Amino acid sequence: MEFLDYYSILNVSSTASETELREAYRQAARRYHPDVNPAPGAEALFRDINKAYEALSDPRQRADYDRTWRNRASSTPSLLLEILLSRRELRPMPEPQILYVLVKVQPLLEMSLSSDAPLNLCLVVDRSTSMKGVRLQNLKSAVHHMINHCSPEDYISVVTFSDAAETLIPAQHPDDPRRLMAAVSSIRADGSTAIRSGLELGLREIERHRQARYVNHLILITDGRTYGDEEECIKLARQAHERGVGISGVGIGEDWNDRFLDELASKTGGSSTYINSPDTITWFLDNRIRSLATAFAERMQITVAPTPGVNLQSVTRIAPNPMVLGTNTQPIPLGSIEGTTGNRLMLQFHMVTAGAPPGAFVVGRVDVGGEVLGAGARAERVVDEISVTITDDPAPAEPPPEMIDALSRLALSRLQDRAHEALEEGNVEEAAQKLEYLATRLLENGSEELGQAALHEAQRVARTRQLSAEGAKNLKYGTRALWSTPGREQ
Amino acid sequence: MISCPYCNHENMEGALVCEECGLSLWGNPNNKVPTRELEDDTSELSVKSGWGTATFEERDQIIIHVRDAAEPITITPDDEFLIGRLDAASGITPDLDLSPYGALEKGVSRIHAALRRGEEVLSVVDLDSANGTYLNGQRLGPNQPRLLRDGDEIRLGKLSMHIYFK
Repeated sequence: MEFLDYYSILNVSSTASETELREAYRQAARRYHPDVNPAPGAEALFRDINKAYEALSDPRQRADYDRTWRNRASSTPSLLLEILLSRRELRPMPEPQILYVLVKVQPLLEMSLSSDAPLNLCLVVDRSTSMKGVRLQNLKSAVHHMINHCSPEDYISVVTFSDAAETLIPAQHPDDPRRLMAAVSSIRADGSTAIRSGLELGLREIERHRQARYVNHLILITDGRTYGDEEECIKLARQAHERGVGISGVGIGEDWNDRFLDELASKTGGSSTYINSPDTITWFLDNRIRSLATAFAERMQITVAPTPGVNLQSVTRIAPNPMVLGTNTQPIPLGSIEGTTGNRLMLQFHMVTAGAPPGAFVVGRVDVGGEVLGAGARAERVVDEISVTITDDPAPAEPPPEMIDALSRLALSRLQDRAHEALEEGNVEEAAQKLEYLATRLLENGSEELGQAALHEAQRVARTRQLSAEGAKNLKYGTRALWSTPGREQ
Repeated sequence: MISCPYCNHENMEGALVCEECGLSLWGNPNNKVPTRELEDDTSELSVKSGWGTATFEERDQIIIHVRDAAEPITITPDDEFLIGRLDAASGITPDLDLSPYGALEKGVSRIHAALRRGEEVLSVVDLDSANGTYLNGQRLGPNQPRLLRDGDEIRLGKLSMHIYFK
């Protein structure tokens, strides 16, 4: 069961008196009680705050709890949190102001370099008619490659789907790679794309050997659209998340539904990837699987609740798996921390500071947690209250350079999103202008190829009132890929 | 309001990129920090300008400037370096004893906080102190490590200090 650090949640020391506890609880209630704070994250946080106060305000329960707490506190935590603010001091102002917060979660111990985590992996592969030819050929060789490079401890399974789904390789260790590869070679392209049945079978295969110390993951590879069963697919993804199974989406070519695949994967903290040329499938799968095997923590999630008067505008995951995350359902699934790079998130708050007394101003609270695989899938949580100082005379301060850099990159994706939105509203001029801005930013950033593509799409939009399917995906995934690439694109 | 020099869009206070055209506004003169005038006799270490590195190498040392103290303290931290105040009665000896800096009056616990070495990083953790540990003004929850950067400010109760890497 997950252990909650009640003292951190109430932000008091374990020696706090009853009066101090009551005061801390009152203060938390003023900030996060659902009656005063309608933000989706506040409800989730307040549930824990209540639980903490209930347990600690009763002396007998507190004594019980303290025994566990002392045991727990003596073991070193392995998640290290860093919170960077764009500004620490704000002027009182009647107009809303922006505060950016960069949240970084990274492994603390050498544990991150310990041996790879075993995988429990299922590939769910589209074999509809449109996969015929070079796509399927490349996909087969990618799966062959994967089978050859799995470690003996891993469990792998392969499910194919078109009108219906079948389990081609039931979950097993790769003891007899030749037999498995022969099975993969027998895949034939035929029929339409019905993702739900494939997803369902795939999750069933993972379920057979699902364990907390494994990286339990499903990779869905498709080149088409599923019709009519999107809702059911999302539901399956949600259930997968509850069981600790991650999903990555891979789209080949131009005809698949990127929004659907993004939504599906994001329910588990994953995201989708665009493969524009079939010969990169092997490279992609290889990378994805290597990265999964270096997972340091799994089933990461974050809850963000602003205090009353502060609005949480957006939560964007910069790394890994760059994506804008929905904030309406909290906690927000973040997927895994892979390798030593950690998880990086950009939060944007809008806040009105007029009327706030000078001094400390609590902007909100973040609560990040997950299961650390190296520590026997131990659940860990870190809580932090974000605060700034209100003053008439803020000291000059430079925002963290990595924040400025990240924001400029995120702005690129935002521009292409805005072009889409404008087109949907029928505002062609606006869409073309956003694409031109995007082209300008990309070109000055040294991203020649993507910049030219944006320029091309801007002209196309002005002429035909729409983006090309290829161009739209190219810009969306191309700008996303820039988020976490240090340095300039060559 | 911050007016974008590229597209003239009026952005909200604190914006670092233009909402309209994606231009980075930090290069924009009306969003820039004015140069701070240094007093002649301030030691250069007492002004934090910019963002310090988070990389802390094996052989690095730490310089601690306790506020209002004349001499900085130089230490080479072990894996875990305890900070607090000496209490002869209970026999507790922290690695760094802050008693000479008014620790008792300023609410520093006997074992207050620790600096921990990670892989090329250094973190600070509050060890369930009575009056709390603050990193750059943010109170830390007990036993929750936070990454330290060169030049960060740590406050133990009411005793404030700056940490520099060497």
